[in-house]
Amino acid sequence: MSLNRRRLESMRSQSSNLENAVIDEMLNGGLSRRDFLRIGSVVGLSIPAMGAVLTACGSGSTSTKPSATAAAQQGGTLRVGISAPTSPIDPVTAGNQGSIAMFLPIGEYLLQAKPDLSIEPALAESWSPNDDGSVWTVKLRKGVTFQDGSPMTAKDVAATFDRLADPNGGSIALSVFKGILNKGGTTATDDQTVTFQLEAPVGNFPYLISSDNYSAVILPADYNGEYEKSGFPGTGRWKMDSYDANRGATFVRNEKYWDSSSMAPLDSIQFSFFADEQPALLALQGGQIDVVNQISVQNARAVLDNPAYNIISTPSAAARVLHLRTDEGPWKDKRVRQAFALSVDRSSIVEGLMLGRADLGNDSPFAPIFPSTDTSVPQRAKDLAQAKQLLSDAGVGGGFKTTLNVINQLEIPSYAVLIQNGAKEVGINLDVILQDPGTYYGSAQFGSSPWLDSTAGITDYGHRSVPNVYLTAQLASQGVWNSAHIKDPKLDGLISDYIAAVEPATQTKTAGAIQTLLLEETPLIYSYFFNFLAVSTDKVVGIVPNASGQLFLSLAALTA
Amino acid sequence: MARFLLTRLGLALITLFLLSVLVFAAAEIFPGDVASKILGPTADARAIAALNTELGLDTPALSRYLHFIGGFFRGDLGVSYTYRTPVGPLLLDAILNSLKLAAVALLIVVPLAIGGGIVAALRQGTLVDRTITSLGLAAMVVPEFVSGIVVLLVFAVWLNVLPVTATAPPGSGLLTQVKYLILPTIPLVFVLFGYIARVTRAGAVEVLGSDYVRTATLKGLPRRTVIRRHVLRNALPPTVTVVATQIGYLFGGLVVIEILFNYRGIGLLIFNAARGKDFPLLESCVLVIGILYLTVTLLADLAYSLLNPRIRLGSTT
Repeated sequence: MSLNRRRLESMRSQSSNLENAVIDEMLNGGLSRRDFLRIGSVVGLSIPAMGAVLTACGSGSTSTKPSATAAAQQGGTLRVGISAPTSPIDPVTAGNQGSIAMFLPIGEYLLQAKPDLSIEPALAESWSPNDDGSVWTVKLRKGVTFQDGSPMTAKDVAATFDRLADPNGGSIALSVFKGILNKGGTTATDDQTVTFQLEAPVGNFPYLISSDNYSAVILPADYNGEYEKSGFPGTGRWKMDSYDANRGATFVRNEKYWDSSSMAPLDSIQFSFFADEQPALLALQGGQIDVVNQISVQNARAVLDNPAYNIISTPSAAARVLHLRTDEGPWKDKRVRQAFALSVDRSSIVEGLMLGRADLGNDSPFAPIFPSTDTSVPQRAKDLAQAKQLLSDAGVGGGFKTTLNVINQLEIPSYAVLIQNGAKEVGINLDVILQDPGTYYGSAQFGSSPWLDSTAGITDYGHRSVPNVYLTAQLASQGVWNSAHIKDPKLDGLISDYIAAVEPATQTKTAGAIQTLLLEETPLIYSYFFNFLAVSTDKVVGIVPNASGQLFLSLAALTA
Repeated sequence: MARFLLTRLGLALITLFLLSVLVFAAAEIFPGDVASKILGPTADARAIAALNTELGLDTPALSRYLHFIGGFFRGDLGVSYTYRTPVGPLLLDAILNSLKLAAVALLIVVPLAIGGGIVAALRQGTLVDRTITSLGLAAMVVPEFVSGIVVLLVFAVWLNVLPVTATAPPGSGLLTQVKYLILPTIPLVFVLFGYIARVTRAGAVEVLGSDYVRTATLKGLPRRTVIRRHVLRNALPPTVTVVATQIGYLFGGLVVIEILFNYRGIGLLIFNAARGKDFPLLESCVLVIGILYLTVTLLADLAYSLLNPRIRLGSTT
């Protein structure tokens, strides 16, 4: 037995069943190096432990340190254009880009999710599940303080998650924690240890307490919901200096940051609020700002190929989802739905409409970015002959006419036109009805919402770090966003299995079964998952994006 | 005169009341639920219910309306649903910004357009006249977002001589603020110049052909005196009315300009309030614009009577 193997065996004896399952999977060749790092980080394997496994497999080092930004200078002011907040700044209730950007540099998370969805420790030092993934224990870093100097303890962490999971607190994270974590489920075992007692086993739980769930910044235990009046409390590298809901904000370096070895390089960050992307992009080109927080690919054309600007492009699970009513109307026969899906020219949509800044979709919420997605499921592609055959088998070979409700925002109307053109080639004539978001979502309840009631519609869904909520809300029989009205006991069973699955191999296997079933049933058409785009001048370094479209500016710097 | 003012005041109050009811009804009819607009359609139903209760939206519409109107007349404009802060300061800030922009635009366009109109009238039928009228007409039909983007690209991006955003840094002096407002003013001048110049020209042409101008010229008055004392004074009343009606546009209808130049005026505020079904903010904005508009038209009528003594306000004859 080699030295590496022996080290590995001694490590195994100290690891949980779940950690060992991941190690075994890697040793048996079931995981790529990248997936091992992603999945290993989720179940709480430490970087040295993963290094030992990789060495045993002869797969090199685990170094995940970003390359040193040589030319970065100390000090200076970064000017950032962001969309204006459309709600008060409060991590518990805010869900819009502008408001979120106002607490990201101020607060910190237990875990930091990287753009490729691997997880790194932040305020947590380590984390591990029990054997079935229903209890997660998180050890906190020592010596962390809030900006007023008071120490951050397990009590603050427990209070933070209780607040987010409180059914009466109006928290925006309720839909994330529904059926997973309830008020009272988080306890401070001692000053440095927090235990999460879940409603059901959830293998991907660490994502929900990471930066990928933007609401989960750690706030003081006595936080009273008045974030702005309390002066933007947090443990982060930045402090609020001034904030004006109408104009913008200025943040300054927190000189008392708890980790003096990792202070913010810049002196200050100036945020200007914009009502629209176009003026923000013009301000960037006019040299008035250095970064635009988020832009659509359509507006980005102006700077996409200009070497003076860096495009920060982050793959995500966000998608424009087309639903087809499976219970009534023209799409009731699954062959008709399959035929429609086969008429969509996905690769030209990705290249033409999204300028390549998107991943191909395969008619399920399992985006390529999720580690559990089964990549062996064949990709659906345009096939007019098969589509026509299916339509004629279904008795509508002569074609038919129906409506498609479409939410009128961003590139979605153009997407609808491409869909319409494709469908026409197989004889399906779509009458596109564009609706502003207010009309389209309506009351967001079945019976009074074109989103949930229309026979077919295109909806804008944001990124989630795990596919769980897409599965339970869009596809389960009782799902609250089940606009396709699919009620399939077999699918329901698979969804419960997937969510409970803790071992990565089981997750991928169940994901594969769901993906295959969805290709067969085709209640939803997912043709692409878009990349979040941000843009900066070439003078800015150190911005870290995440897959939910936020920019982490804590360690950003300017080059000389 | 007093009777005239009282009648107008009464009419103004009725107008404002109707306006407030209309806006309230419209805000009620707009699709969507306030809390789900704020939290997004995918928010949990429990969070939406909690927010609706917090905002007092679970009470009947009529009582919400009466509560708001009662407050409005006591000077309490309520709390914005979206920003959860008092409407007063939000509105005041936006009004000041809009007033600044409107003032700069009016200071530039009014003398320019009146001058242009008079010159065109004096040179009636010549190349100068045709140039002024057709250029004015052409500029008027170019949408603001087109002329706005063009001036932005030319002056702020390519030449880089003027700032892209119209909002000056806090604490800037008057001159700096004006410098920031030059670019957004240009599209407004384009839109207004042709209209005001045409009305002035038409008025002046009519006056120039009148007997009293001919008499004044024939009795040997210098041309400048004729223009100042007779032509301008008689040609201006319709122009004053036209300028007054444009105040409403300058003061609440500049959404596109405000978005493009990232300027926090009342147009943008009202647009966002309507989009977010933010009733207290929307209603306050509309009522304030209404009051301003009614005041300005009243002032215009008074100015009209000063310019034209034949009109006796309030006289029954």
